[in-house]
Amino acid sequence: MSMINREVAWRVFASEFNESTLEIEGTEERAPSYLVTPLGAKINRLYAVGVLTEKENIGDPEEPMWRARVTDQTGTFFVSAGQYQPEVTSTLTNMEPPIFVAVVGKANTYKPDDETFLTSIRAEIIKEVSEEQRDNWIIEAARSLKNRLDVAMEASKMDEVSVEELVELGFDENLAEGFKQASEHYDSIDFNRYERMLEDSLRYVLPEYESKSIEDIEQESEDERDEDLEAFILDVIADFEERENLENGVDYERVKEKVMEEKEITQEDFEESVNNLRSDGKLYEPVLGNLKRID
Amino acid sequence: MQEKENLAPHIEDINRALNEKLSEEQIEEELRTYTERYGVPLGSAKRSIVKKYDGDPQELYISTDKKIEDMEGDEQGLNLKCRVVSIDDKEIEVDDQPKQIWYGILGDDTGTIPYTLWEAKSIDMEKGDTIKIENAYVNMWNEKPQVNIGSKASVKKIDEDEVPQFERQPQKLSLKDLREDMRDLEITARVMSIEEKTVNTQDGEEKQLYSGVMADETGKAQFSAWHDFGISEDDVLKVKGGYVRSWRGVPQYSFDENADVQFLDDDELPNKEELQQTSAYTISDLAKRGGAVDAIVEAVMIDIKSGSGLIFRCPECNRVIQKGACRVHGKVDGKADLRVKGILDDGTGALTVVINRELTEDILGYDIDRAMDIAKDEMNQEVIRDDIEEKLIAQPLKVRGNVTSDDYGLMLIADEVDRQSIDVEKEAREMLDEVRV
Repeated sequence: MSMINREVAWRVFASEFNESTLEIEGTEERAPSYLVTPLGAKINRLYAVGVLTEKENIGDPEEPMWRARVTDQTGTFFVSAGQYQPEVTSTLTNMEPPIFVAVVGKANTYKPDDETFLTSIRAEIIKEVSEEQRDNWIIEAARSLKNRLDVAMEASKMDEVSVEELVELGFDENLAEGFKQASEHYDSIDFNRYERMLEDSLRYVLPEYESKSIEDIEQESEDERDEDLEAFILDVIADFEERENLENGVDYERVKEKVMEEKEITQEDFEESVNNLRSDGKLYEPVLGNLKRID
Repeated sequence: MQEKENLAPHIEDINRALNEKLSEEQIEEELRTYTERYGVPLGSAKRSIVKKYDGDPQELYISTDKKIEDMEGDEQGLNLKCRVVSIDDKEIEVDDQPKQIWYGILGDDTGTIPYTLWEAKSIDMEKGDTIKIENAYVNMWNEKPQVNIGSKASVKKIDEDEVPQFERQPQKLSLKDLREDMRDLEITARVMSIEEKTVNTQDGEEKQLYSGVMADETGKAQFSAWHDFGISEDDVLKVKGGYVRSWRGVPQYSFDENADVQFLDDDELPNKEELQQTSAYTISDLAKRGGAVDAIVEAVMIDIKSGSGLIFRCPECNRVIQKGACRVHGKVDGKADLRVKGILDDGTGALTVVINRELTEDILGYDIDRAMDIAKDEMNQEVIRDDIEEKLIAQPLKVRGNVTSDDYGLMLIADEVDRQSIDVEKEAREMLDEVRV
């Protein structure tokens, strides 16, 4: 069926959108063009939600031409609207930053010189939204990003990125094609950075986030790891005691060797954990150089 | 690529047509050269080889009774012994003249194949008859081989024993997988609703039609039964031998007296209430299907089109009028109505949604009379559309209704519209857990 389907509105974070440098022009008449992100989102239209932080009329009051900045937790979308978007320009005229806004529009690119590739959104719709609606959008954009990272993960196992194989694995054909095109264009893509972006964005909508900085959250996950290690050290000691029927504790070096064999940790990590266990009253040295549990 | 054992009967055909002029090895080599090296279809390859060695290609087909599973889709002069699994007639137009043709399914012990009988029946061919067809041809139709019985072909009844007994194996499908023009299907579904209608067929005959909606665990589909099988609401049916017709992109399962309808135990499928739930689709899936009955779409409203809000319709023809004038009936006293025409987008695709007056009143929180008052106060009917934008844009919605498609894309006619409240915290934690693994 020769059905004209409206272009889907991609949910992407500003940072991924702005790092895009691959443009695919429609070849046939009226064929749409696309901006392909490093992770393979083939964007003609996008739907973004963030904070309207600045707006500027670079036209005149009669014929306004608005430039605006809409910021999400990863970066800033540059938004434009001119005479062909009268509803958007009149809405923007009446908006006072900072407010949460939703923007639907077309991906636009601008190349002032050979080295600079700028991306923006030519707005079709702009509307003030609630914080709740912004959080909904973050979830949608995170799910979309996660889906692309899943494609990247599967593709990394292939000698050569194969659209057919990706489709067979259950990914959308359009996404698989976009990923292949991206992988042929972008030199090196730092997938770890996007994984962190995904995790940070998801933490951003959690209630505990408000009271905590990113550093606090990092500290927390470190504390969690420390607790795991301490429990493991106690298990190792208990294991030795039981098997060899040791009454005066287990040799420090044997415990260290066993723990470092099983866990990816440094000697300092081990020493620190043992010291913590001692000061918490969970371990003592009945004989010099031996560790024993306090039940 | 043909395996050696599959080539054997074809080598035999050529050998016979050439009066054993070549050795079997030589024929095989020729055949492989044509088919494997040059990619020539098997049927053409055989003709070409026979011609090349001065044989008569017609000889290839004499007394070669083919089996259905051997059909490649380019056979000429085909002879086939088979059983008539189904036969239906329809009227087509050839050079502006109506012409009667017959179509259905033929079967033997190796499989089934659709057929079309293009000329008047030379015998009184009926369902269940064992027949011998001579000089038919096979072509590809919808990527599947189909037998054509044209003016050069003949059909005669033969003894039942000439075709071994076989169990017909229709393709078992879930309702979600129904696609236009599929035939000889088996589906198992629960009847969600059914009504009896009298319809006029093309030749002016009155016929009883039993139609409604059926559902399985994968989705729902409209159905049309052209025979009174005694079906009632809530029955669980296994229907073998139906076919698919589409209406505006929505696949419908049709079956007639040739179908085998069995009534199954009630516990073969979940109950009606449960089946009612199971029709959530992504918009990308709907685009691939072309439509769906009673679908649920979860998506964000990202645009409200002009022609939404308070509108006026022509009292004569119900068309939406502009500035008090109907396109057809000129200046009229318009009837007020409320509706929403918007774009729903779920990140996999987009569709147009149409929301009627009653549901639009629910969304607005006031009725049409109040909407008229507001528009009068503001001296602008567009304020109602603005209010709809305010309430719906960027709002995640769960919309239930039928989805159809035409040249302009997918359209969802809403039966129910609900605001989705998303548990952001839960979703975020679940995704974080998946990422950390």
